[in-house]
Amino acid sequence: MAGPDHAIDTVVAGVPVAARARRLNLWYGPSHVLKGVDCDLPERRITAVVGASGCGKTSFLRCLNRLNDEIEGARVEGEVRIGSVDAYAPGTAVHALRRRVGMVFQRPLPFPQSIVDNVTYGLRVAGVRNRRERMDRVEAALRLAGLWDEVADRLGRSALELSLGQQQRLVLARAIAVEPEMLLLDEPTSALDPAATLRLEERLQELSGRFTLVLVTHNMQQASRMSDFTAFMHDGRIVEFGPTGTVFVNPRDRRTEYFITGRDG
Amino acid sequence: MTLRRRLDGGAVWAVTGLASLCLAAILGVCGYVLVRGLGAFWPAPVVELSLRDGSVHLGEVVAWDDGFLVLRESETERVGAHYRRVARGDIAREARPDDAVSLQGADGRRLFVRGGEDPAPAVVVESLRPNVLSTLDRVGVTLARAARFVTGGATGSPWVGGMFPAIAGTLLLVMLMALFVVPLGTATAAFLHLRKGRAARLVRGAVATLASVPSIVYGVIGLGLFVHGLGRALDQWFHAAQQPVPVFGSGGLLWAALTLALLTLPVFVTSVDQGLSRLPRSLEAGSLALGATREQTLRMLLLPAAWPAMLTGLMLAVARACGAVAPLMLVGVVELAPALPLDGEFPYLHPSRQFMHLGHAVYDAAMANPDPFRGVSRAFAAAALLLAVVLVLNFVAMVLRDRLRERYRALDD
Repeated sequence: MAGPDHAIDTVVAGVPVAARARRLNLWYGPSHVLKGVDCDLPERRITAVVGASGCGKTSFLRCLNRLNDEIEGARVEGEVRIGSVDAYAPGTAVHALRRRVGMVFQRPLPFPQSIVDNVTYGLRVAGVRNRRERMDRVEAALRLAGLWDEVADRLGRSALELSLGQQQRLVLARAIAVEPEMLLLDEPTSALDPAATLRLEERLQELSGRFTLVLVTHNMQQASRMSDFTAFMHDGRIVEFGPTGTVFVNPRDRRTEYFITGRDG
Repeated sequence: MTLRRRLDGGAVWAVTGLASLCLAAILGVCGYVLVRGLGAFWPAPVVELSLRDGSVHLGEVVAWDDGFLVLRESETERVGAHYRRVARGDIAREARPDDAVSLQGADGRRLFVRGGEDPAPAVVVESLRPNVLSTLDRVGVTLARAARFVTGGATGSPWVGGMFPAIAGTLLLVMLMALFVVPLGTATAAFLHLRKGRAARLVRGAVATLASVPSIVYGVIGLGLFVHGLGRALDQWFHAAQQPVPVFGSGGLLWAALTLALLTLPVFVTSVDQGLSRLPRSLEAGSLALGATREQTLRMLLLPAAWPAMLTGLMLAVARACGAVAPLMLVGVVELAPALPLDGEFPYLHPSRQFMHLGHAVYDAAMANPDPFRGVSRAFAAAALLLAVVLVLNFVAMVLRDRLRERYRALDD
């Protein structure tokens, strides 16, 4: 085990670990939402987080970029480590942390601005003033998100004119533009139709070579076809974690088996 | 649909009826003011009354009842000083001679002569034969007079002459006020949004209370705080040589604008505050997730997205400002200003100057006018103008807001 001052040197199934949570507890006021989560997220892989509604998947995700800080009455205990950064250490700058950990939400929500302003938002926030550099990053991010060819000729138009699927890829590009290490995806396809879902899945698959992706999903097919690793959450705990093939085909825990096969536990 | 289902047939009718009544009342009020306002400019016929005592009088009938009528004769000396009350029984013959000429002097005097007679020694701005005009001609004369009323400058008397200085004063006042209200109100709304605790509750309560303070109280505050307090201090520092003649130490455009800004601040703040809280919460989460601080989120994302609400707030503030005459009387409005607050002389805008205002012109024309037969119609004309100014400002804001709504439409679902 690494000491608290060092980068994570754990390896899971031969893959180095990019981020990890230890004994992570979360309360929203009096309700205990996460009850001692331990999790290793392998670098440049897709880790799916599955589980029943209300089991704490999204709350776990929001602990990784400290978005729970913004909710009144939320309290976190335990350790979250993103690479070499101890996320909840007193000296950690939360805004810098969030730049390293991007996020895509359930409903695509572009800002009511032009397409280009959406993509440069994170850069402007971070104080990147050079226009040339910003435009380079816009193109790179939009290409990675698979949106460049569709919007290259209308970058100045309002982002709200795009289709839902395009909007979600724009939000993805917006997150990529600040060059994070990790991307948190909170049911990113739940609002999309099958065709748009497929397109987004393709992009995510390709991005997994560059970023560490954490995918919260309700869709078991999606989890099994896209992810390299799967964490199964139940009642605020991760009860099973492993390579997706193993978890789906040969689960150790009965609750995992019941959930995956659709039986009541 | 849900409302429909909950109400039975009778209630639906009642609601519809009341709504139509409201609409009719609004249209009725606007229409009445417009008709009376334009009616002030309709060319009246010139009558010639031959009385039983042998005298002959030429003029316009300005009032009448069963027993008497009042004739405005040639105002050879001054405006409003040549009315004659005539008993109907004394009239031997009444005629409307075709050659009767009605003249309008630049100083507001109205003169009546028969054709061929020597017109009075005055600068004449209008000369016509009202008795031979067709209806179309009369409409033309009415419009021409209305145009002179709108574009004309002030004359030596506050009760004649055009309203241009008052229109300019009203617009300048409102614009200067907006210059104060928008940044101050936006900052307050931003504070309310950033601080969610007791401080915000306190400020919100204070804003709500301010909204219910009677406008004349703001006038007193403006007089004490701005004119006597700030104004005199400024005079002592910067215009000491001219003392005791006040520069900023008397009412003026700047102090009136600041007073109105105080008066309209609550309306604006409430509107922006509500606009901000109507935005989807996830918008803020999306920005925070990109590493923005809450201040950055507010400045770069939420306030720009709350643009339509800011415009609505400004619209309401302007409407309230145009209607508030009472406080202005304490802080700088006058019935007759020697010069516009805006001219070609450096520094072009003179915020310490006294100014004229349409709302005050209405009061002045109706209540302070020594000419009893011109006052009310002049007041209606000024009121119609004020109404038109407010409606135009509202219309511009509405068009602007709708265009912005178009951009943000997808946020509303």
